[in-house]
Amino acid sequence: MESIKQNPLVKKVGFNRIVLCIVLLLMYGLFCALTGGAFFGLRRILSALNYAYFLGFLSLAVTFVIATGGIDFSIGPVMFCCALIAGFCFTIYGVPMPAALLISLAVGLVFGIFNGYLVAYWDVPSFITSIASMNIAKGVASVFTKTQSVSWPQSTQEGGWFRRLVTFEEIPVGLIILLVVAVICAVILNQTKMGRYILSLGSNKEAVRLSGVNVKKWEMSAYVLCGLLVGISAIFFVGAYTTVQPGYGDTYNNEAIAGCVMGGTSMAGGLASISGTIIGVFIISLLQEGIMALGLDKNLQLIITGLIVIVAVFADVVARRRKN
Amino acid sequence: MGEVILTMKGIDKSFPGVHALDHVDLEIRKGEVHALMGENGAGKSTLMKVLTGIYKKDSGTITYEGKEVEFHNTREAQDAGVVIVHQELNMLGHLTVAQNIFIGREFKKGIRIDDKKMNEEAKKLFDRMHIDIDPTETMSNLTVGKQQMCEIAKAISHKAKVIIFDEPSAALTEAEIEELFKIIRDLRAQDLGIVYISHRMDEIKVITDRVTVMRDGTYVGTLITKDSTKDDIINMMVGRVIYEDPKTKNMTPPGAPVVLKVDHLNAGKMVQDVSFELHKGEVLGFSGLMGAGRTETMRALFGADPIDSGDIYVNGQKVTIKSPQDAVKYGIGYLSEDRKRFGIVVQKTVAENTTMADLDEFANGPFINKKKENEVAQKFVESLATKTPGVDQLVVNLSGGNQQKVVIAKWLTRNCDILIFDEPTRGIDVGAKNEIYKLMNQLAAEGKAIIMVSSEMTEILRMSDRIVVMCEGKKTGELDISEATQENIMNMATREIE
Repeated sequence: MESIKQNPLVKKVGFNRIVLCIVLLLMYGLFCALTGGAFFGLRRILSALNYAYFLGFLSLAVTFVIATGGIDFSIGPVMFCCALIAGFCFTIYGVPMPAALLISLAVGLVFGIFNGYLVAYWDVPSFITSIASMNIAKGVASVFTKTQSVSWPQSTQEGGWFRRLVTFEEIPVGLIILLVVAVICAVILNQTKMGRYILSLGSNKEAVRLSGVNVKKWEMSAYVLCGLLVGISAIFFVGAYTTVQPGYGDTYNNEAIAGCVMGGTSMAGGLASISGTIIGVFIISLLQEGIMALGLDKNLQLIITGLIVIVAVFADVVARRRKN
Repeated sequence: MGEVILTMKGIDKSFPGVHALDHVDLEIRKGEVHALMGENGAGKSTLMKVLTGIYKKDSGTITYEGKEVEFHNTREAQDAGVVIVHQELNMLGHLTVAQNIFIGREFKKGIRIDDKKMNEEAKKLFDRMHIDIDPTETMSNLTVGKQQMCEIAKAISHKAKVIIFDEPSAALTEAEIEELFKIIRDLRAQDLGIVYISHRMDEIKVITDRVTVMRDGTYVGTLITKDSTKDDIINMMVGRVIYEDPKTKNMTPPGAPVVLKVDHLNAGKMVQDVSFELHKGEVLGFSGLMGAGRTETMRALFGADPIDSGDIYVNGQKVTIKSPQDAVKYGIGYLSEDRKRFGIVVQKTVAENTTMADLDEFANGPFINKKKENEVAQKFVESLATKTPGVDQLVVNLSGGNQQKVVIAKWLTRNCDILIFDEPTRGIDVGAKNEIYKLMNQLAAEGKAIIMVSSEMTEILRMSDRIVVMCEGKKTGELDISEATQENIMNMATREIE
């Protein structure tokens, strides 16, 4: 085992990520076998990917917060809030589609700033902040839409062009956007001051503060970036699901966090992997698609993602205990 | 003094990078008070932690009541009758005295806790110690001295045969110390073996029967207290060889400008009206006992903790320091006494830690220039002789001395002119210590101004050009190295207490 880990190629790619890719392939193989090959088709993969887009952005978003040692349980409901407010502006107030998309980003950004400011400048634990803003997001969306669900336009309707950005037609534009954003996130995390400080303060905030770094600003920046990515994820969500109902969205928290911790981001902060997060999201999406293809109870997926979070976090705890 | 109850022989213990105990011996008899002495870091506490099962020894034997034993945790040691009274009190403030004493082994009536019985038993213990404490009183309402008595009562309640006191007098008033001594004499009369760890020479003379001295993790020797002088003991503690080139005169160039002036600084209870000046090229030692307020002064001055009042001048300019960010801007760097918590980011590499305080210099816009970062880190690895496989090594894998060098590199990268070294050699072995000393002298010679907080007297005397002494949050003296001796520093360090 140790000799495998010492292999230069394995070291470069990361042992964890290789394992994840193997898991992904095995799962795919398993589903193909169980469905008698029915799973083995482009349509299924595309369908799985459509689901993966928004979850990918959501998972990338929370990766930055978790890297600081924080947590964000508001991402799912905030994503719904973005989709509801922006969609409502489009359908009821007649705001043009490009503006509606920008509104979605803006709403996400506002929540990111709100969470980040409370956590970084007022020292409110992120756990509490995010649970509170989860409720605020649900409430704001309900009040704004007068508790009505909002349907975004179909591709043939006016404004429906946005779907070409977010779904898989001839060109996988959605996939390309997700991967481009992931690369940007990886660059931010690994090549910039922002990423350096986010990871460092996630590992030892006091040591970074005593190095004369404005830790409050950098801690907040993680939440702001998170909010922006949640705003993007809302657009991809309605691209896949069209209709959004106020008062929901919590289940996506768990899925996004599962993708993130499975990919090797430590809940204790200080360690994060963007490529790991993306592979983790693909696994979760494939799982969802596989469960549907096998005709199993959809709620099974909730149970499995719940278990994945526990196993992934436990593995992280064990790994750190062994290091000490 | 009766028969031998406890013998430790050839005890050896290593931590990564530090040989903490090197074949240490200790023998305790019934009905004696046995002092364990040595400088900070000599290995006294480690030895006691090995005895009570907190640390596992690498080799050696422990014989207790004629049988070879090895305790795996404090619980096992307690059950056998070996109990430690810690320097920091392990009391739960919101529980009563009796509840604290019997915690973990409460008397029960059915499934309910029998508080009445516990109060009675606690009362019996206090009677036996001839002290008057109400067992139903809430612990946090007692003075530190009374809390210590409770800790002792707890130890006795374990049917202790050997009690270890780890610097019991550090936080006590004169009257409380008298009371403590009375209790200790009582316990001795009841044929208990008592280990007494303390730095205070006069206490050792008053209360102990024998003295075992340790130095740098080794056993130096054991003396009969009444047949030996204070100087005998000090000579054994200090030794002769390890401290080459002590400073005998102030090496600061005459007329060197004042780079830092602190004027009537107040910050909380631990920093009261502290004033001093620091010159270019000077090493200013800060001496004092534990809890004298030296670290608190440095943290306040560095902006890590809020200042209540007082002025700070850097190069003659009055400055406002509200955060470490401000302090760093004025060229002040702080090397904390607790590297792991406040100095390094363990999950980051040597290079990443090196540039932590000065990342803007290594960035083009938002992007980090890793090539430049690695080059500079490599330069410091070479000039400081940091032992690491490479600059991409995580600092968690480095030894204490090398981690300290990474922290030094961090502040040198930032080009700070005022460096505050808080206990720069704590937890670092002798060889690496000397390298750190050499480095500090070299930095001072290059014109950096250095404040060195140290609890080791020899370190203070070896490194400082001038010495500021603090006691209980106040500055109690200032000496030029030419007039400083252990005795007059110690006098100043205990001035408030006496």
